[in-house]
Amino acid sequence: MDEDLTEGYSEPCGQCGNVCWGLTDAEQFFCKNCHNVIERTKDVVDSSTYSANNRISHFPSGGRKWIVCEGFQFILKHQAEALVGLGVCPEFKKKVLWNFWMRYLQKTRQAYTKNPRITNGSPGDITSDSEPESLALNESSEASDGKLSVCSGSLDAAYYSFAKESKSRHLMTMPRTLALCHLALLWMREAITLADLLRLVSKRHVPYINVHEHFPEEMKIFGKDCKFFIAESIPSYRMVHREASLLAKVMELPTFPPVSQDCLLHPALLCLRYTMDANLPDELHLLVCKVMEKTAMGNDFFLTFDPAGPKQRLPCYDLQAAALIIVTMKLLFKLDDQTECKMFSLRRWYMSVQPALESAREREEQAEARQAWKSKKPVVPNLKNKTLVLKRRRVVEQLQSNFHTLTGSTMEQQPPAPSSFLFLWGTEEGADGPSLHHKRLAFLMEKKGRARCLVNRKYWHPALRLCHPRECREHFLELESSLPRMYVWLLGLFSFLLGVSQAQLHGEVIQVERRLLRGKGMR
Amino acid sequence: MDDIEAELNIPQAQAESESSEDERIQKTLKPPGLLHVSSIKGRCRESGFHKSVRLCLKAMRDAMLHHRWQEAAQYLAAYSQSLEDSTTQKQLIVSEIIWRLGTEILYHHPNSKLEDFNALYERMKNSGVKNYAKICLEHSFHLLLNGHFHESKQQLSVAASWRYGKQSATQSLLLKLIHAYCGFLDYFIWCMKRSSVAKVAVEAEADVGNREMHTYFRQASVTLQQIISQPGVWDPFILSYIDMLEFYNDQEEALNVLQNYAYNKDYPANPNAHVYLYQFLKRHNAPNIKLIRTLKVLCSLVPSHELILEYCSLLLNSDVQEDLQEALGVAMNLLDYTSWKTNVNAWNCLMNILKLLKSKGLKHLIDKEWEERKTLWLAMHYRTCHCRKDFKENAELVKVKIKVITLLGIYNTGYSKVYLDVSMARSTQKRKRKTSTDRSDRLDL
Repeated sequence: MDEDLTEGYSEPCGQCGNVCWGLTDAEQFFCKNCHNVIERTKDVVDSSTYSANNRISHFPSGGRKWIVCEGFQFILKHQAEALVGLGVCPEFKKKVLWNFWMRYLQKTRQAYTKNPRITNGSPGDITSDSEPESLALNESSEASDGKLSVCSGSLDAAYYSFAKESKSRHLMTMPRTLALCHLALLWMREAITLADLLRLVSKRHVPYINVHEHFPEEMKIFGKDCKFFIAESIPSYRMVHREASLLAKVMELPTFPPVSQDCLLHPALLCLRYTMDANLPDELHLLVCKVMEKTAMGNDFFLTFDPAGPKQRLPCYDLQAAALIIVTMKLLFKLDDQTECKMFSLRRWYMSVQPALESAREREEQAEARQAWKSKKPVVPNLKNKTLVLKRRRVVEQLQSNFHTLTGSTMEQQPPAPSSFLFLWGTEEGADGPSLHHKRLAFLMEKKGRARCLVNRKYWHPALRLCHPRECREHFLELESSLPRMYVWLLGLFSFLLGVSQAQLHGEVIQVERRLLRGKGMR
Repeated sequence: MDDIEAELNIPQAQAESESSEDERIQKTLKPPGLLHVSSIKGRCRESGFHKSVRLCLKAMRDAMLHHRWQEAAQYLAAYSQSLEDSTTQKQLIVSEIIWRLGTEILYHHPNSKLEDFNALYERMKNSGVKNYAKICLEHSFHLLLNGHFHESKQQLSVAASWRYGKQSATQSLLLKLIHAYCGFLDYFIWCMKRSSVAKVAVEAEADVGNREMHTYFRQASVTLQQIISQPGVWDPFILSYIDMLEFYNDQEEALNVLQNYAYNKDYPANPNAHVYLYQFLKRHNAPNIKLIRTLKVLCSLVPSHELILEYCSLLLNSDVQEDLQEALGVAMNLLDYTSWKTNVNAWNCLMNILKLLKSKGLKHLIDKEWEERKTLWLAMHYRTCHCRKDFKENAELVKVKIKVITLLGIYNTGYSKVYLDVSMARSTQKRKRKTSTDRSDRLDL
C-alpha cells in the first residue's frame, strides 16, 4: 500500500543505497532496508501534484458536488425507512416527514424559497417541482470563486461551521434529525414516544451513529463534514425535546392533531404499558386513570401540542405517564419507608422486581461497553492524516478479527429484536420473575358510608411552589438524600425503563402533584 | 540503570504466572489516570463513545482479575475501537493498554497460539512509536522463551537497526539493551551448535559445525564486548562471554574481563561480579591468596553471602594470625543475620574456628571478640525459647550451639538449662524403656 504513495521517489537511501521507500505513521519517508528516516514527507508529494487551479471541479477520485443539507436529507430518509420497517405507517415517510423537511427548508430559507441564503450568497431560483428524492440545487452551487472545498466533501461545510450563523439560522444538526422525526411521529400519533425513539437509536435499530455509511458512493465525506455527520454520543431526552420545541416554533407548525382517548400516545394506554412492564397489578391501572381524571391530564386540551398557542409546551407523554403511576403509588402505599410493613404485596413486588432490575442494569452496562462506535468506512477529518486514519482502521479490524477467532465469536453481532417492553414477567422461559399482574388491591380501599376511600390517609410531597416563576431548575440533587429510599428506588426503576434521569422524572412527578393538590383539575 | 535491571527481569517475570499479573495490570493502569478514574464533572461532558470505552476497560479489568479470559478477550476486541479515538493523548495510552492487556490475555487464554502473539506484537509495534523498542524486546523474549532462537534473533536485529529521529534518542537505553540481547542470542545459538557438534560422529560435519560455531562466537563476542565495556550491570552477558572464552581456552581475556567487571570504579558495586571472579579463579586452581583477596571484597559488600563459609575455611587454612582473627570476626558476623541464625553449618564453622584458636593459644582473640558481643548473643541465641525452637527444628543444632557456648566459657544460660532438662528427660525415658524391655525379657525367660 505504501508503494503507490511513495512512487516516483527514486533517490537512493543515504545509509544503505537502496531504493525501497515506505511511509511511517507521521507520513515521513523511511528506507525499508535500513529503516533510516529522511526529512521528506508526504505533504511535499501531495501539494506538488495539486494543480494551481483551485476550482471546486477538481475532486479526489470522482464524486459529485453536494451540500450539507443533502446529506441530512439522506439521513432523514434512512431514519424514516428504518422506522417504517419497525411498523410505523408508510405515510410517515412519504408524506409527513417529507413535508416537515420541506417546510423546514423553506422556513430556514435554505431551499424552496425565492431567496435562499446559501454558501456563496448568490441568489437563484430553485425549481420546486423537483422530485422528492433529490434537491435541484446544482445551479446555484456552481463555483464560488476561491473557496477551497478540499477541506470537506460537501460544498458549504465551511459556511455551515460558522457557529453564529447556525444558531440564528437553526441549521440542521444530528440531534435535530431525531427531533424532526419525533415531531413527525407525534403528528401521526404513533406509539413510539421520545424515550422509545432514543432507545431504538441506542440499540442501532434507527440509523444515527455512522449513518454516513449509507451515503451513496458519489457523496464523499471527509474533513469538515465530520463535525456535522459524525456523532459520538446519543443525545439525551432533554436535548431532543428542547430541539423539537424549537423546531416546531421555527417551522411555525399549526396545532397538532389532537391526542384523544383512542390514541396510543394517550396516558391511559401508556400507563397500562408501563404498569405491565413494571410487574404491577393490573388493577392499579384503574386507579391511575382516576388520578388522571382528577388532574385533568387526560383531556385533549392538555395533551395536544399547539406550537402557536399560549403555552407552546411540547408534552412529554412518557414522562407524564410514569409520573402518574408514581403519584398513584404514593397515594396507595405512602412510600415513606415507614408504613411498608402492613403492605405485604408491596414488599413482594419489590423483591421480584429488584433483582430483575439489577440484572437488566448490568446487561445494559455490558452492552454499552461492547458497543461499536467507529465506522467501517472511516471518515478522514484532515487530509494530512488520511493514511494514518486508514492504517489505524486496518489495525483495529485485524485486532478484532484475531480476537474474535480466538474467542470463537462472530464479528457481526445482530442486536436483539426491538421490543416495547424491557422485562418479561411470568412462567415462560427467559422470564425475569413471577408475574404479579393478577394481584388484587381491594384491601387498599375501604368503604366509608357510600364512598370508597383509600386506607392510606396521608400523603407526603416536597415543596411544590416554583422558586422562580419561569425557570425553576430541578432540585432533585439537593433533595435526594432526604427523600425516602423507596421513592428514590421507584424513580430509578421508571427512569431506567424510559432512559431518562431520575431528576427529570422527579420534576414531572412534582408537576402532577401540583395539579392534583392545588385542585387545578377540579373544574 | 534501574530501568535496565527491571528489563533484565522480564524473562523471569514472564515465566512466573500469577504473582506478577496483578503488578503488571497495576503498572499499566497507573499512568492513564484519565481512563479508569474520571471525576463526575469530567463525565458530564463525556461523549457516548468515551463512556463506552471507559466501561469496556472497566469490564475488561474485572474479567481479567477474576480470570474470565474468554470474556476479557471479547472486551478487548470491543476496546480496540478506541485506537481510532481522535484525541491523540488518549491514543498513546490506548496502544500501550492494548499491548499489555492483550499479551496477558493471550498468555492465559487456553486457545491462544504463537501466531496470535506474533500478530499482536507486530500490530502494536507499528501503531505509535513510543513503545517500539519495548515491544520489540518483549516480542523477542517471548520467542526466546518458546525456543524460537532464530526468529528471536531476527526480531532483535530488525529492531536494532531502527532509527526514528528523536524517538530513537529517547529510547536509546532500550536500544542498547536490544543490542546486548542480540549478542546474547548469538551465544544461545552458539550453545545449540556446540551441543549438536558434540553429538556428531562424522568429522566433516563436525568441521562445518565448528566453523558455524566460530562465526557465531565472533558475532557474539563483538557485540558483548561492546556492551560489557560500558558501565552497568551485565551479569548474564558476562557469564555468556566467559563461557565462550573458556571454551576457546582464552583464560587471560576472561580474567581481564572479570577483573574489570569487579574492580573498575565506573561500574556500580555488584557482589555478583566478585562471585563470578571467585568461581573462575577456583575453576582454574588459583592460589589461595588470590581467592581470599577476592572473597574479602565480597565479604565487605555482602557479609551474609553464602560463600562466606568457604571464605572462612580458606582463612582457616592459612597460617597468618590476622587471617584467623578475621575468620572469627566474619563467622560471628554471619551468625548475626537471621538467615544464618539456625544454620548448623555456620555454627559448626564457628566451633571449628574456636577450637583452632584455642589450640593455637590465641584465646585472647576469642575473648576480645566475645566481650563486644556477649550481651547481644546471649539475648539473641541463648534464651530458653530459642532452645525449645531449636530442638523442634534440629537437635544437632542444639548440640553444636552448646559446644560453642562451652568453648566461649559460659555454662549458665537459660539455653543450657533447657538443654540439660530435655536431655535428662530423654535419658530417663530411655532408661525406663530399657528397664521395661529387660523386665519383659526376664519374664519371657
